[in-house]
Parts: sequence; C-alpha cells; structure tokens
Amino acid sequence: MRITFPHIGNVYIAVKAMLDPLGVDYVVPPKCNKRTLSLATKYSPEGVCIPFKLNLGNMIEAVELGADHILNVTGHGTCRMGYYFKVQEQILRDMGYDVKMMLTGLSENKLRGFLNLLRTVSNNAPWRKILSSFAFGISKMTALDDMEILANNMRAFEKNKGTITPIYRKSIQAIDDAADYRSLKRAVKEYGEKMSSVDVLEGHKPLKILVVGEIYVVLDPYANMDVEMELGKLGVVTNRSLYLSRWIKKGLFFNPLGIDQWRDVHKAAMPYLKRDIGGDGWETVGEKVISTGRYDGMVHLAPFTCMPEGSAQCIMPSTKEDLPVLAIYCDEQTSKAGMITRLEAFTDMISMKKAAVLSR
Amino acid sequence: MTCRVGIPRALLYYKYFPMWRAFLEKLGADIVVSENTNQRLISQGAALVVSDTCLPVKVFIGHVLSLSDKCDKLLIPVVRSTAEKVYNCSRFLALPDLAKAVVPGAPPILEIEFDYSRGKLYLYRQIYALGRNFTANPFKIKKAAEYAWETHKRYHEITVQQQMTRIEAIDLLHGDKSFEIKKEPKDTLTIGIAGHPYVLHDEQVSHNLIKRLRAAGVSILTPEMATENPDSNDNGHTQFAGLAKNYWESEEDVVGAGDYYTRIKVDGIIGIMAFACGPDSMMMNLVQRQARSANIPFMSLTVEEHTAEAGVVTRIEAFLDMIHRAKRRKEQCV
Repeated sequence: MRITFPHIGNVYIAVKAMLDPLGVDYVVPPKCNKRTLSLATKYSPEGVCIPFKLNLGNMIEAVELGADHILNVTGHGTCRMGYYFKVQEQILRDMGYDVKMMLTGLSENKLRGFLNLLRTVSNNAPWRKILSSFAFGISKMTALDDMEILANNMRAFEKNKGTITPIYRKSIQAIDDAADYRSLKRAVKEYGEKMSSVDVLEGHKPLKILVVGEIYVVLDPYANMDVEMELGKLGVVTNRSLYLSRWIKKGLFFNPLGIDQWRDVHKAAMPYLKRDIGGDGWETVGEKVISTGRYDGMVHLAPFTCMPEGSAQCIMPSTKEDLPVLAIYCDEQTSKAGMITRLEAFTDMISMKKAAVLSR
Repeated sequence: MTCRVGIPRALLYYKYFPMWRAFLEKLGADIVVSENTNQRLISQGAALVVSDTCLPVKVFIGHVLSLSDKCDKLLIPVVRSTAEKVYNCSRFLALPDLAKAVVPGAPPILEIEFDYSRGKLYLYRQIYALGRNFTANPFKIKKAAEYAWETHKRYHEITVQQQMTRIEAIDLLHGDKSFEIKKEPKDTLTIGIAGHPYVLHDEQVSHNLIKRLRAAGVSILTPEMATENPDSNDNGHTQFAGLAKNYWESEEDVVGAGDYYTRIKVDGIIGIMAFACGPDSMMMNLVQRQARSANIPFMSLTVEEHTAEAGVVTRIEAFLDMIHRAKRRKEQCV
C-alpha cells in the first residue's frame, strides 16, 4: 500500500511530517507544473473548477510514481468539493489505474475523522504516536504560515526587490527538513531574523490589501499565480482571512467545542446574505463588510464557475460598505502578465483614491 | 385589495409551482407568473450578474426584473435540502439575496427555507411565517399547507402515471388546456433526456428540444417520468441504484434519470446542461461514462445565452440519424 495525497499550497510538508514518524509508505506528487495542468485538463470534465483539475493532475502523476491509495477529504454540503472523490475515482479507473480513495468527511467528522484516517494508514499505530505526529505536523503548518505572513509583510518594504522571496523559499526548505521540534524552532528563528533584517525602504507607507476567496485558490500559489508575491513586489502588504494552521486549529479543534471563529464575519454579512451558501461565499461577503476601513482594498480569488464565490461576487457591489474589490478568476488559462497588469491598475487606483481623500 | 404575489417562471418553478400556487391561492393571494422566457429577458438578466454565473440564474434574474413592476411581493423560496445529507446547489441558496442585490427596485421578497436537517418544527415555523403575510389565522395556514402538499403529490402522480412533462402536468392541473395523450407506435425510437427541468422545459433555453424530438417521431422520456415505483414518495422517484449516492437535491434529474435510462435500455440519451452549471459539470460526466459502458449512444448538449439554434438542430438530426442507421443495420443482421 503506497499512499499519496493531492497538493494544496505547502500542506504537503505538514502531511509529510505526520506520515514520516508513523512509518507510512507514501509518495508526494510533483509540485503543480505545466504537465500537471495539461494532464488534468485532458482528463477532467471541461466545466469543472480548477481545484478539481489540479487535484486530479496530482493524483495521476502520483499514481505514475506507484501510488495506489489516495488520501482525500470530502464533505456534505452544497459545493462540488464534497463530490470530487467520486468523479476522480471514476476517471482514474477509466484510465486503467486501480486506486482506492481513503476519505474523511471534514464537515461531519472534523478532527476525529482525520485522526482515524491517520490510524488506518499507519496500520493501527498506537494513539500516542498518532497524536504526537499530528501535533508535529500542525506545528510545522504553523511555522510555514508564520514564515508566509512575515514574507508577505516584509516584501513590501524590501529595498532591493527580490531579496525576501529567496529567503522565504529557503525557509520552507528548512522547515521541511526539520526532523524535530528543536530544529524546527531553530529554522523559524534563523529565517525569521534573516527576513526581518533585510534593508528596508525608509518612510514607505504601503497599501494594505486583504486576500479572500475560495480556500484552495487562496492557499495554492500555483493556482493563484503567486498573487501575494506579485502584490508584494508592487509594495503592498497583504494579509488573508485564511491560513490553514489557524483554520485547522479553530475549525477542527475549537469548533466542536462551540467556538465559531467566523461568528463576527457571518454577522457582518447578514444584511446582504442571510445564510450559508456553501464553500466560502458567506465569509467572503462578511470579510468585505468587516474589513472596510481596516484595509485599502480586497482581492477576491475564485475558481472559474465557482458557485458560492460567484454568488458572493454578485452580491458584494450592493453593500453600503465601500471597499474596492478586484475579482480574479483562476482557471487553466494561465496568463500571469494579464494578472499583473490588473494588479498594477488596481493598486494605482486605490493609492490615487487614498491620496485624493488625504488632500481633501 | 388582494396582494399580488409574483412567481418567476424559472428554476424551482418547474418543480414546485403547483404547490406554491395552491398554498397562496388558498390564502387569498393573486398569483402573477412572469412571461415565457425570451431572448430579451435573458440578455437583461445576464447584464446584471457576473458573466460566469450559470444560465438558469441569469434567466431567473431576467424573470425577477420583468416582474418587478407587476406585483407587490415576490416569492423566492430557498430549498436547502429535502432529504438527509442531500443539499441543493449553492446558487439556489443565494437566490433571494442575489435578487435583492442585483435588481434595483425589486418588490419585497417573501422567503421560505426548506431544510430537512432542521426537522419538522422548523418547517412548520417557516410555513407559518410565510402564511402570516396573508392571514393571522393559523388554522387557515395549516389547511392551505395541507392542500398544497396534496396538490404537489398529485402533480407528481400525473407526470409519472400519464407520462407527461412537467409543463403539460401544470397546464392539466390548472385546466388551462385539455390534453390528449398521444400513444406513439411502439417501433419508434425512445430517447431519454437527462437534464434539469428549468433547462429542459424552458423552450427558449432548450431550443424546443422536446418539441423537436416529438416532431421527429421519437418518443421521449424525461426525468419526471422515470420511476421505479409509482407509489414511492416525492424525492425518491428516481433511484440512484448503480451510480452514486445522491449528493445534490437537484441532481436526481440528471444522475437518477441517466441511471434509469441505461437500465431500461433506451435507444439514446441526450444530456442537456447549462454552461457553467457546477453540479452538472461533474454529474453529466458520470452519466456519460455510464452510458458509454452500457453501449448506449449519448449526446451532451451545453446551452448558454448565445447558443445558435441552427447548431442545436443539426446536432439533434445527426444524433437521430446515427441511431436510426445503427438500428437498421442491427435488424438487417438479424
């Protein structure tokens, strides 16, 4: 039994950290690249969204490397995501690969389902071992997110453009290589200091932009064409509503205890959207309302034909809170130049608006 | 003056209109249904929403727009789920808020949310809250709701027992027209059509698919006619036997029907879907794979607001010719 799992951003590092101590035979699919995408678009239904396609591409490439069991998440709800596995399994079967999906329902089984899945793949390892490896994976995830937050903040201030990104890349590698808590801590400290001590522009007052949208395209730099890095190059500080480490901690761990991290956001969305429409649509509308005044603009990422984000995007212009929103649709037609032009125009527009307000 | 309640002739209209009509009329409201879909209505609706919205929602917004000065209130129910762990597509849940956001000057919207997972009490409360707009008498509301449910059940019985399409059944229920059920001779082709009622039965959207097929002398099956067991309840009228467990409430019209057609061995299956429909993009693929493995010809038609009618006609003709020819060859061999 050789296990694999589809990519989403840097999550593979955390999953690796969970599977390694349990002695599981696994293969990480190659990072998303042109080949992944062309395989994916060749075998996927044409109208389906980009997360499905990239996931399928990852699976095909992993199966070529000998994987026969695929870890995957499902859910019940209104978005396509919960049904991915069924169609992907069918497609892989029709391609002649004999694979088995190993699933956990995120929305119903939460943390327990995931831990049970770890137990199954590790051939019933003792719970003590599973919990400790899970905790280590989560701390790696947290470290990765900390690095990303720092990089997205510092990139706007760097004096020589392009100094932060190589350090950030190295920090990811160092976190991936860390075998225990001590080396992980050392890596975080070392690269954190390196990033904080680069030459900065004096007196630079950057724009602040919030990145929201569908979870996969927000988290995966290949799918969103490094939107945060490109914004950073334009001298903009970015933040997101979604970091996976927080999402896991709050969504899987605290939510069953009755703490809802989205309560304020949902409350803010209420006058414009009264109910959960699946995916992250409700949160997107709420974030716009709640972030007005706190941010200078918002970038809304969505896969093409995404149902919840599409509805959210129709509703957003009608809110009385007035925050500039740039909607970027992600699909297999990658043209980075087009996106950069739009980002430049967007940041120019909001900085001009800001200057006009200040001079008045 | 009685309250004029507008019902857009789109989306859930095809599935639930007799029920809503019965309920509202019992409570003394006037019903205003929007006109039949036409090209002007589609382009007006499409102009108001972002371009990757699916066609049925664009059509829906067009209908809301056309109703906005003809009625006092607008009925836009939200059907979240009608069975355990089976939910409706995300677009349906956002409809009232979407209509409010994009149609300026829309009349006040009457909402009612159907959610199986919240239990019966929630449903009764929702019905009562809707009924309160017309009367304060809870018994009257209860009676109207019971009558509406009876009407809904009859509506389904008619489609199944008399093999009628939903539109014909709606007309029959309200006595607008009288129908003679034509029995086609047995040796013609039987084509199963898989697709949502709001795509299939909207003549503008589907380019008269049903009429065209009937004119070509083909006997057709539509999802609402498909049944294992005429006595089975409303949402189980097509069974997901071999293919998959139902995930979306509205997808039984596609997957359930496709499954049924392959089991009774129809001569061909036409899958009609709207461009940018999320659920269909995956489900139609499953039906297609199943039809292929059962050796049944399958044609997928994707419609959008720019679809040229001539293209659709050509494809239907070619599909039918192909099936006819294959059938003839088989008979000669035998």
